[in-house]
Amino acid sequence: MSNNDECPKNSKPLKRKITRRSFLNHALAGGAAAGTSYLGLTSGLYAAPSGPIVIGHQAELTGGFSSWGYWHDKCAKAAVKVINDGGGIAGRKVQLATEDTESNPATGVRKLRSLIQRSQSSFIVGSVHSGIMLASIPIATEMKTVYFSAGEATEATGSKGTRYSFRTGTDTYALAAAGAPWAVENLGKNWTMIFPDYAWGHSHHQEHKKLIEEMGGTVNEPIAVPLDAKDLLPYLAKVPEETEVLFSVFFGALSVAFYTQMKSMRLDEKMKQYSVAGTIEGVSPAQIKGAAEGVYFLENFPRLLANKDDEYHREFNKLIGIDDVHAQEVGSDKVMAKSHAWQSWENMFALKEAIEASGWATKKDDQGVIEALEGLKMSNSLAHPQGDKILRAEDHSGMIDCYITKVENDKFNLVKKIPKEDLMAKLPPRYDFTSRKL
Amino acid sequence: MDWNLLIALAINGIVWGLIIALIALGLSVIFGLLDIINVAHGDFFMVGTVMAFFVVQTTGNFWVALLLVPLLAFILGGIIERLVIRPIRNAAALSIVATFGLSIILQESVRGTFGASPRRLLAPVEGTTMLFGIEYDIYRLLAALISIIAISAFFLFLHKTKFGTWMRAVRHDREAAMAMGIPAEKVFLFTFAIGTALAALGGVVAAPITTVDFKSGVDILPFCFMAVIIGGLGNLPGTAAAAVLLAFIEGLITSFSDPTVARIASLCLMSAVLLVRPQGIFTGASR
Repeated sequence: MSNNDECPKNSKPLKRKITRRSFLNHALAGGAAAGTSYLGLTSGLYAAPSGPIVIGHQAELTGGFSSWGYWHDKCAKAAVKVINDGGGIAGRKVQLATEDTESNPATGVRKLRSLIQRSQSSFIVGSVHSGIMLASIPIATEMKTVYFSAGEATEATGSKGTRYSFRTGTDTYALAAAGAPWAVENLGKNWTMIFPDYAWGHSHHQEHKKLIEEMGGTVNEPIAVPLDAKDLLPYLAKVPEETEVLFSVFFGALSVAFYTQMKSMRLDEKMKQYSVAGTIEGVSPAQIKGAAEGVYFLENFPRLLANKDDEYHREFNKLIGIDDVHAQEVGSDKVMAKSHAWQSWENMFALKEAIEASGWATKKDDQGVIEALEGLKMSNSLAHPQGDKILRAEDHSGMIDCYITKVENDKFNLVKKIPKEDLMAKLPPRYDFTSRKL
Repeated sequence: MDWNLLIALAINGIVWGLIIALIALGLSVIFGLLDIINVAHGDFFMVGTVMAFFVVQTTGNFWVALLLVPLLAFILGGIIERLVIRPIRNAAALSIVATFGLSIILQESVRGTFGASPRRLLAPVEGTTMLFGIEYDIYRLLAALISIIAISAFFLFLHKTKFGTWMRAVRHDREAAMAMGIPAEKVFLFTFAIGTALAALGGVVAAPITTVDFKSGVDILPFCFMAVIIGGLGNLPGTAAAAVLLAFIEGLITSFSDPTVARIASLCLMSAVLLVRPQGIFTGASR
């Protein structure tokens, strides 16, 4: 094709002279485009109050945390279905937008931005991965979006907490306050702690150490295990002989390796074993063939229905599709990460209650939702099957009942229930977010 | 200093090093012959643990898994060589990308079928023995013995069989070997398959000590790479010796210091080798 074919005789040459008029034309067109795109980005602020309410869910569907993420996703979807079947929130349907964080903080943050900007999520039910959660809170705050944390790092409702971040579940501060007093009194005063060498493990150590020493106990040198360790014998060999309580906090494969190797060294015959539910989340004691037998755990939503036997718990189990003994999925061998995943269910209902109480219609009404969430009392119900709880106004932390259980014959048998009132007595708020401006 | 602890951890280091040597040998043989930097090698180990779990679940017999899993992995390795490795042979940079993709495919396939929850494989022998003051799992000693037998068998195969001679010849001078009529394509296929089988065998042996989990290969790979680098890339006896040496040094340091310090020491050793003897500290042994 010749140049003449491309450029008809009566057409203007490609290189045009810029006149004041053409400049104004382009400038106006550019301005209009920029203005339109701005409206697109911020349409959530002025969305029609009659449309669906979009709630974003940051879930670990793949990667190292996927054995938990599967359950968070399942709980969130089931909760949204129950809410929509019941007429939605304030008469509006809920639309759930889920993004996979791949269990990776960098990806998790990118997906959070996508949930807020692309999916137009008005609220976020956030990650259970502490690294992702802590990286997400500043972003959610910057984008003025309410963010529910589900991980246990205490900073989320502590030093890195903001007016926009909430957590209905427990953190390391609460877990220490709930379990350590009982464990010191009943299991022994000489403690050794073994944990993964990252923030979550060290946070458990610090919070427990403080309480144990206040109660007259002794805490030996901590043993921090690198996350990539396969052979734990060099670490376990360093547990002092005088140890009465070996407190372990691990996650996933490292937990199984710990129980297997601890048992093969017969440490369970020499000292009491105590841990938190996170260490055995998503794993059945039967699946690890007795390696966790005799271990005491602190749960916050008991795996065994009999430990909190009521109609709401029973109905919740039915809706999620798990059995009442091992929290195992009906028709598969997946075990629910029950002490954490309930938050993805309950946070949906906490949002429903706050939205309806505040009369929220669009993003500009967020302050009302935040104020309604601060101090929100949630009653034991199908919406809150974990039990009665308070979302404490000052530090945005859930005050909940906890349960000490012991693995016997592959079942988590109840040893003691720790009521939320006992927990609150040992857990004064360290921060007051209510005084911070939005 | 607690001398008992020092000796016990040093012995444990050797035991663990022998298991790692088995896996690292597979990595080294693949690199030495095919020039493939196999990022998915840790996942072959992981697939070995998962296969072992299924075989033990089905047959109830660990020893069946020990024999059957390397054979299954050998077949899997052969298929992967044809589908993934052959098209990108002679392109080291591409091999990293391709095997990284393979690693993700293997992990997610196992996650999708086996599940994301870690499992435990019971050891075929139970009980402990007192080893310089610590209760030592008898199975670990057995695992070390199995590893020694497997490594010895591999070197015997390499030096006493026709195919082993072909493998060494192709590794030594590919063009000359081909000119002499050695079926190089067959050797490539067989080598990748045997490397996969060694990693899977390491998985079967290690599974009762560690865990069965779809991410377990990710953690084992760096240590294997360190052994391969310190031993000399493609240097098989050097790799085996380096794996045992590294684990032994880490065991020694752990007895009086933090295990993290021990890992830092290993990394320093690797860096020093890269700076001073990039060909590996065991160069001089047969390539």
